[in-house]
Amino acid sequence: MTSTDQQPFLSVRDLKVHFSTEDGVVKAVDGLTFDLAKGKTLGIVGESGSGKSVTNLTILGLHDRERTAIDGEILLDGKELLTASERELEKLRGNKMSMIFQDALASLSPYHTIGKQIGETYRKHTGASKAEARARAIEMLKRVGIPQPDVRVDDYPHQFSGGMRQRAMIAMALVCDPELLIADEPTTALDVTVQAQIMDLLKDLQQEFGTAIIFITHDLGVIADIADDVLVMYGGRCVERGTKKEVLRAPQHPYTWGLLGSMPSLDGPVDVPLSPIPGSPPSLLNPPTGCRFHPRCTFTEKVTGGLCASAQPLLEITDGRGAACHLTADQRRDFFADFAATRSH
Amino acid sequence: MSFSRRNFLIATGVAAGASTVLSACSSGNAGGSGSNKAPSVDKAAAATIAVGTKADSTGPAPEVEGAVKGGTIYTLDQIDCDHLDPAQLYSSYEGAVSVPFLRGLTGYKVDAKGKVTLVGDLATDAGTMTDGGKTWAFTLKDNVKWQDGADVTIEDVRWTFERLFAKFVTQGPRYPQSWLIGGDKYKGPYEGKHLDSIEISGNTVTFRLKEGHSDFNFMLAMRGFSLVPKKHDTKEKYDKQPFSCGPYKIESRSIGKSMTLVRNTHWVADTDPIRNAYPDKFEMQFGFELQASTDRYIADAGNDQYTVSMFNEVAPTRMQQVLGNATLKKRVLTQVDTTCYYYAINTKRVPDVKVRQALNYAWPSKQAQQIRGGSSSSAIATTIISPLTPGHQDFDLYGKKTKPTGDPEKAKALLKEAGKVGQKVVIAFQQSDTAVKTAVAIKTALTKAGFDVVTKQVDKTSFYSQIGQLDNEYDLFAAGWGPDWPAGYAVIQPCFDSSQIADGGVNWPQLRNTGVDKAIAAATVEADPKKAAKMWGDLDRQIMELAAVVPDYNPIRNWMYGSKIGGIQYDAGNTCIAMTKLYRKA
Amino acid sequence: MFRFLVRRIIGALVILLIISAVTFMLYYAIPRDPARMACGKVCTKDLLEQVRQNLGISDPLPVQYWHWLEGIFAGRDYGGLGNCNAPCLGFSFTNREPVLGTIMDRLPTTISLALGAAFFFLIIGVGTGMIAAVKQGKAADKIASSFSLIGSSLQIYFVGYIAMFLMVQQLGIMDQPSYTPFTDNPVAWASGLLLPWLTLSIIFTANYTRMTRSQLVEQLSEDYVRTARAKGLSRRSVFFRFAWRGAMGPIVTIFGIDMGTLIGGAIITESVFSIQGIGRLALTAVDANDLPMLLGVTLVAAAAIVFFNIIVDAVYALIDPRIRLA
Repeated sequence: MTSTDQQPFLSVRDLKVHFSTEDGVVKAVDGLTFDLAKGKTLGIVGESGSGKSVTNLTILGLHDRERTAIDGEILLDGKELLTASERELEKLRGNKMSMIFQDALASLSPYHTIGKQIGETYRKHTGASKAEARARAIEMLKRVGIPQPDVRVDDYPHQFSGGMRQRAMIAMALVCDPELLIADEPTTALDVTVQAQIMDLLKDLQQEFGTAIIFITHDLGVIADIADDVLVMYGGRCVERGTKKEVLRAPQHPYTWGLLGSMPSLDGPVDVPLSPIPGSPPSLLNPPTGCRFHPRCTFTEKVTGGLCASAQPLLEITDGRGAACHLTADQRRDFFADFAATRSH
Repeated sequence: MSFSRRNFLIATGVAAGASTVLSACSSGNAGGSGSNKAPSVDKAAAATIAVGTKADSTGPAPEVEGAVKGGTIYTLDQIDCDHLDPAQLYSSYEGAVSVPFLRGLTGYKVDAKGKVTLVGDLATDAGTMTDGGKTWAFTLKDNVKWQDGADVTIEDVRWTFERLFAKFVTQGPRYPQSWLIGGDKYKGPYEGKHLDSIEISGNTVTFRLKEGHSDFNFMLAMRGFSLVPKKHDTKEKYDKQPFSCGPYKIESRSIGKSMTLVRNTHWVADTDPIRNAYPDKFEMQFGFELQASTDRYIADAGNDQYTVSMFNEVAPTRMQQVLGNATLKKRVLTQVDTTCYYYAINTKRVPDVKVRQALNYAWPSKQAQQIRGGSSSSAIATTIISPLTPGHQDFDLYGKKTKPTGDPEKAKALLKEAGKVGQKVVIAFQQSDTAVKTAVAIKTALTKAGFDVVTKQVDKTSFYSQIGQLDNEYDLFAAGWGPDWPAGYAVIQPCFDSSQIADGGVNWPQLRNTGVDKAIAAATVEADPKKAAKMWGDLDRQIMELAAVVPDYNPIRNWMYGSKIGGIQYDAGNTCIAMTKLYRKA
Repeated sequence: MFRFLVRRIIGALVILLIISAVTFMLYYAIPRDPARMACGKVCTKDLLEQVRQNLGISDPLPVQYWHWLEGIFAGRDYGGLGNCNAPCLGFSFTNREPVLGTIMDRLPTTISLALGAAFFFLIIGVGTGMIAAVKQGKAADKIASSFSLIGSSLQIYFVGYIAMFLMVQQLGIMDQPSYTPFTDNPVAWASGLLLPWLTLSIIFTANYTRMTRSQLVEQLSEDYVRTARAKGLSRRSVFFRFAWRGAMGPIVTIFGIDMGTLIGGAIITESVFSIQGIGRLALTAVDANDLPMLLGVTLVAAAAIVFFNIIVDAVYALIDPRIRLA
């Protein structure tokens, strides 16, 4: 382990991921920077198409290299991933860094048994024998709480329930004790009880192994449960960053307010109507000028000089805290106070 | 016969055995006048076939000039023979390929100029007729052997004709069965009974017939009356591998695929006036479509140079290419066939002669010929007896030659005379591309002449069954007939004698005319071939005056062969290439 | 699996029974008399009746069909033609050969034709399909796709004659198509069938190229393929063990159908190349109104199709565990 306090375990610097399509260049990620320390969980929030998943696939190197232009740097434990060879990446994937996908049914191969899929990863990275891999798979299944793991190890994914599949997925991701775990909406498709179980499982495992976790979701409730830090993405950019507490208690960006407003509050009154953010996510092919959120923002007229439509607000970070918005700090405070008031009534 | 087997199977009622005389239009003389000119039937002299003497009937066969002995000759054909038991053998293709190993009492000898003579094959001569054609005697040659070396005996001769009456024999010609005295009651020799009307004595067999038949010896030349050895007769099973008394025997057979003929060492050339037997071996291959064989002849590579087809003609799709190329055309034998295709007019439904004559006048002969593929594949017919069959007279009662596209005015006038303008005519035709197009042409022409035409499609598999029904509902339908032997009798009697009117019979027009019947009876017993020929020709005219049919066409056949095949000669007896005249060029 | 096979085989037999009955009925649906075909040129009523008796078709149709079925299970006595042991499909109406014997004689030819062609079109078709899928959108993909488009629009009677003309008759670099049993001479077997194999594969390959490409492209974009990559597996092993595994199902299905059809009789191919297989037999039987042969060939063709359907289902279940054989 070379990670030190000076150098975070995972460091993403000014990441740009652009796809070329027939219609033009899609700027899926457009200048993203963040750090993640070991044993910590970073929650990335945003609507679909905000660049969350692309960012993480890029970290694993699973993007289509021929159609993607990438700029910036990704350092994992000091190693530059963007320039690493395919072979080097293959050695890291599933081993030092691994990923849990959203839809476990689609993400597990229907043609191979659960045990085989878990064991395969293990064998690839440790050179273990088939028997050892099987034993390891049973052990992993047991750890993620699959009953009768020695029997279920020979089942196919379609023979598992949704929650069990997600656990198997986690078992597979953790089989080589990864140091970085990327969980891409791992609980979205599950019912609330199972969702809670999975979250507990992840927390336990993190405690046990000190894994760094990137947790991607569009659900702020989940963030509240698991994350240490939060990164809010919009239109391929980070619009707000901070600790969980900072972002959830005192969000600085109108988009984050919108996200809060679009979800039910557990401690607020039940009769408060939810207010989804009007409009639709921005086109990444022809993103809006200025602030990418401005077409949907209700506060643009509060900013003088039509700045929102003409200039991109900068993300100024102090002590890991910041938001990219043209509103002044005072304005933000006032407007959020108003927003919070409507919510608690 | 000129029908493909396909046709034959569909239309058993039609032409099977057939014969004619002159290879009037073999490639040799057709090629001179113009490379793509169709053979002309009109100029072919009506043939006569001489009856040979004892000397003519003595072997060996006249040498083919330049012929060499030895080697293998190949054949490429679409189909195998369904039957090789002579008693079951009718189609001319089966007849043609069995010449090398089947022999009968009489047969046709072809000389270097293509002249055909009826001679004794296994008999010493072409037979002796007495009692106005009611008694016929034949004497067996000495020294004729079966393939196992045993003598061909007069017992075998009697056995051959008696077994024709057995129950399993249904496919071959049935003239002896109806001509021989007592034939209607006889059930075949297998239960130990002989037919009294076939007498044997010494080396001579005598047939006694109910009525006089002056051409009995011609009839016997049909391949269906080749001899079968009593000792080796296996009844139904004999069909697969008949015993040979000819120059070749069947060495092996893979049914539907191939048949190999090798020399029969017991054959004596001096006993055979017909077969030359130059190659050592025939390798016959079956299962080749016309286009496949034609393409191979065009390419003329390897063994295909030594290959000939007994059945496959030049594919219609390759006709232009082959006949239009002088080099290729040299390797084509072109021959007008003796079969006459005609449209039978149902005289029971259309009793008025004038109406039937009007149909003849209105006929679109030329259009129909074009639809069939033009003058290289068929010649317009004006008579029932083909120009190549003895007895043919060249007449054209309804102006088909002068107005080949039809004469609607004349037809209309006749209809008016008969008071039948707007007469309804129901035409039956088969479901085939050509038949449909032809039906349209006919409808157009007849409508123009004042007929009210109704066309009805009939499934091709049951077409002949349907038109063979006496109570059928059609006025006009295509039929055709190839004579079983080269004589007017074989053309006229089966198709126009009122005695032949029966369900499943071939008197399709259902012509019942006392004058015609009387004339047929007279011609049948006429002993003088020349007089008989004249009588049959007159009958042809008589029937055409009654307009029982509309003569349509005589097909033209084009066989192609490899460049190193010699001795290509038309076998008039089998309307095919003479297999036993072929040789392999060095 | 065993229960599945037993059930499907019983089902198949029922289907074959129905097919034979339907064929029998259809044969007689139009007014035709096979006796007429086997009754000489001038066919009298008595003679026709005799032929009917000889052919065994003088009984009412249900009785005839019953006798035919009986023959299959218990054999049948054909008098002068001899005894026909079970399974007896009777004797041809035209040449009076035993139907089963004739079919057995032709079947190896047809099977050789089908298997050899399959060897080529599978390798070429699936191979180019794989290349096209891997090189999606690149030159190799475009070339493969256009060739497959051309190939699929070609007709055997067109390509066949041209191939014969060129390869055999003009250039002489290939043998005249013919069939030699493999057991007699494997080299002659292969060289005699090479041209038909290649020609057939030109036609069939296209389908497999297209199918393989589209299936693989689809599979490669599946989530589980991405998962496999995220696990650190190499592109190659992901391609073959995951994507190809998923793509195989539909290809196996098409292949099963094609094999059934090919063994049921490549009528046109066999005609073009003058090869005597089941297809030619069927053609002649139809032409000649040969009911016993027609029934026999139909049965064999149907059996081939049904058989390959069962195989396809079984193989599909082996490939995809989600499919339960019940």
